[in-house]
Amino acid sequence: MTKPHSLVAMFTVSLLASCLALAQQGPGGGQQVPPAQPGRGGGQGRGQAAPRPMSFFVTSVGMGKGGDLGGLAGADAHCLALATAVGAGNHTWHAYLSTQARPGQPAVNARDRIGQGPWYNTSLTQLGQPQNAIISQDLSELHGDTLIQAQRGSNLFKQSARNEKGEVIHGVGDAPPVQHDILTGSQTDGRAFTDNADHTCNNWTSSGAGSAQVGHSDRIGNMNASWNSSHATTGCSQQALESTGGAGLFYCFAVN
Amino acid sequence: MTKNRSQVAAFTVSFLLGSCLLLAQQNAAQRNPMTFFVTSVPIGDGGNLGGLAGADAHCQKLATAVGAGNRTWHAYLSTQDRPGKPAINARDRIGTGPWYSQKGEMIARDLAHLHGDTHELARLGNNLNKLTGFTEKGETVPGLYDYADPRDNDWEYVKTTPFSNRHEMLTGTQPDGRAFTGTDLDYTCDNWTSNKDPDPQQVQTQGQGQGRGGALGAAPGRPNAQIGFPDRNGGGNGSWNSSHGTRGCSQAALPRTHGVGMFYCFAIN
Repeated sequence: MTKPHSLVAMFTVSLLASCLALAQQGPGGGQQVPPAQPGRGGGQGRGQAAPRPMSFFVTSVGMGKGGDLGGLAGADAHCLALATAVGAGNHTWHAYLSTQARPGQPAVNARDRIGQGPWYNTSLTQLGQPQNAIISQDLSELHGDTLIQAQRGSNLFKQSARNEKGEVIHGVGDAPPVQHDILTGSQTDGRAFTDNADHTCNNWTSSGAGSAQVGHSDRIGNMNASWNSSHATTGCSQQALESTGGAGLFYCFAVN
Repeated sequence: MTKNRSQVAAFTVSFLLGSCLLLAQQNAAQRNPMTFFVTSVPIGDGGNLGGLAGADAHCQKLATAVGAGNRTWHAYLSTQDRPGKPAINARDRIGTGPWYSQKGEMIARDLAHLHGDTHELARLGNNLNKLTGFTEKGETVPGLYDYADPRDNDWEYVKTTPFSNRHEMLTGTQPDGRAFTGTDLDYTCDNWTSNKDPDPQQVQTQGQGQGRGGALGAAPGRPNAQIGFPDRNGGGNGSWNSSHGTRGCSQAALPRTHGVGMFYCFAIN
């Protein structure tokens, strides 16, 4: 009595599983999956020079209050705390965030806060010597200031945009939760928005009303490949950020 | 009791199976037909594709094998101007879009979106990425760090290791989708007819990237092809169509920078 019942249950479950798999893949899916392997460091190739000190990372965790980061000062302090925890507290760290002009307060452009580069991600030892990847040579390459630079893009991509612990940020197609929405409050050129709408969760003080512009650390989503200005969030609460594939993470750059 | 239970079971099975089939059918019905793919296999003779005609025929053959031969397929490849022959731009060969992957996602709305013709479009980028840049069979192209494999530069190994990184697509193209013009340097493996490698003495002395396997990129006397990445990961930039050059044009030379001679195919109708 119990046994047939559990058999039916098992069959039902497996049917459901294959159904879900079919729905996800669509027809013509069914590709081979390679054996699980740890990813390599972000280097361009093996056998390169000794790694440079980390001067770029994506925060491994958000601050937990949605778009309320305690302003730029709070976000910078979060960068420093995370960097310090992995032994990189000897740099001055700034969050890549813009703020909008308000009465008595001029706008702040994220690109003006991060030094001159070059910036490197954390170094990893996975195949051979420790190595790390350059994120970008300078501000112009990072933001595509010339047309050809913009068409090419920088070296900030899913495998190089690691958190301070060297982990890849989960993006589209990875195990949930996807956390690829990175708060920037910036336009594609790295500058603050100049219209009246909210693009910065009220200059990073709101965890309720408002909206923030985000980029994608995996450069996938919303029909573009923007790392810093892909779309707006639906709100500023932690829940709102999570609903579109975010966690309130942001980019941190060492300015020295 | 037994009857009751088997009725429940039958109902459960038929309900689930039914909704499952319905879901799968919907999936098929809503899908945009494929008008873009990455070749699942290379032609196999390095940068010698038999010219543009040979490359187009390869696209057509692969498309036909998956039931998409009713369209006219062109390879996304440029050729350079040579005496008596004007240059051909890859972007002028692929129709006007929009183009859709094997799974129905839009790659780009039009030529301007695909290539970033305005500064803002270029900064934003198009929708070609690792999760849309499928082969005609719907396979993801193995890319950077998918499979940590110390021999992924060795063709003898790569050709029997389907998960090994092979994300470099031949394009022979500048980032704007146009040919390299007014230069004797090779960016197209002699307009896709050459499988030659550079003189071994030149390999170590000229051009950028003096890393493992010798220099890469265009230089005097170096057979070479410009490449891009469907996964947008690598090469010091994320360019899908014009990241860097190769170390030569032989089949064995292409894997030294992580390609095997695959390329993009677009339906022009």
